[in-house]
Amino acid sequence: MRDFELLRPESAAEASQMLHRHGEESRLLAGGTALLLALRQRLLSPPYVVYLGGVRGLDKISFVEGEGLRIGALTRIADVADHPLVRKHCPMLASMAGQVANPQVRSMATLGGNLCYGDPASDPPTCLIALGASVQVTGTGGDRVIALEDFFTDYYETALAPADIVTEIRVPAFANDASGLYSRFVKTRAEHRPLVGVAIVVRHEGAACRWRRRAVGASTPIPGRLPRAETFLRGKEVSAAVLEEMADIAADEARPVSDFRGTEEFRRDMIRVVVRRLAADVFGIETH
Amino acid sequence: MSKHVIHVRLNGEEQEVEVPAKRLLAGMLRDDLHLTGTKRGCETGICGACTVHLDSRPVKSCLMLAIQADGCSLTTIEGLNGGTSELHPIQQAFLEHGGLQCGFCTPGIIMTTSAFLSRNPDPTEDEVRAALSGNLCRCTGYSGIVNSIMAAARAMRASEPAVERPGR
Repeated sequence: MRDFELLRPESAAEASQMLHRHGEESRLLAGGTALLLALRQRLLSPPYVVYLGGVRGLDKISFVEGEGLRIGALTRIADVADHPLVRKHCPMLASMAGQVANPQVRSMATLGGNLCYGDPASDPPTCLIALGASVQVTGTGGDRVIALEDFFTDYYETALAPADIVTEIRVPAFANDASGLYSRFVKTRAEHRPLVGVAIVVRHEGAACRWRRRAVGASTPIPGRLPRAETFLRGKEVSAAVLEEMADIAADEARPVSDFRGTEEFRRDMIRVVVRRLAADVFGIETH
Repeated sequence: MSKHVIHVRLNGEEQEVEVPAKRLLAGMLRDDLHLTGTKRGCETGICGACTVHLDSRPVKSCLMLAIQADGCSLTTIEGLNGGTSELHPIQQAFLEHGGLQCGFCTPGIIMTTSAFLSRNPDPTEDEVRAALSGNLCRCTGYSGIVNSIMAAARAMRASEPAVERPGR
């Protein structure tokens, strides 16, 4: 790891000014579980590291009636998994957070840091896109909100401007007739990065599906929705055969990459399997 | 390169340490404070041999800067049993149930275990295996480790006043 100057701002605005001043020569440090790896392997060698540990108040979770969860960007992943408000209002998010990486990483890594790093093989982006989440951003150009669906632009690339800082993640409240789940495929428990991640949120209308949002990630450069599979189910009476057909559409529609962790074909197969099983769980249907 | 003075409560004792910005927590513990029970294994956040407790939670000390521990309480394997020379019940169980061979991964696994059992004193084997997902052992094949942890959990429950766990 190369030497760097550690800057310790006390507010998000001050941190943003530091990023503005040092531009590409600076990087933000939150929990550090991702950045430290990149620094140690010299993938990144910024002369300035802006450490957010002294910024207070960005690790709070609240629930606003009619609006949803507000999660401070510096909230640890372990706290997202354990927090009573998340477990109550969005069990899908709590359960996803409990699967990220491993216990030691969850103790340090922050939800905001995870999103801003833009690692394609990670769980939270996929889950939060399906939940319709957005991020609150502060920067030299003022505050704004970015829908997570528009946030990821490519491998490790986001829509953030150089001096932008994500301060909060907003997750809309579930409607009474909605339900959702997140699932992933890893080859062994010791593998910390999912090969495929799938999230499904639906609104039920009796046995039929009224509205749905699904996202696939970890296999693709950026997580994204699957519009063909989404519209296929709309208004249909859901059965095992319908879900099987929908899983085929999803596998066909996704654009997985090939790399040393899995070929495109293998990933497509795993997308099919995870989508089918997860959808069956969401609708409470027995499948083989 | 910037230098920083940090304050930590390390194994129950207040310490003031001056570290360069890029010093990793594992480096501070081993090289500055000579607490060599914490191991540097893969140094890429996979193996967990460097696991210590930061404010009672397990963390990988090779994946964080020493400065990130400023103002926090730290426990290493040396301080696991309050600094006494007695073995902690988890260490005793690892001895009795073949929880180690070469022993290099053991401090990290024991620190992970102790944080896990304090939250989940009556785990299933499956929960134990999930808790160990951030620790690698290249000798044992894990059966001995899992058996040791189940035995440690039993021993610790037996020595503590019984606490009912909801839903079990």
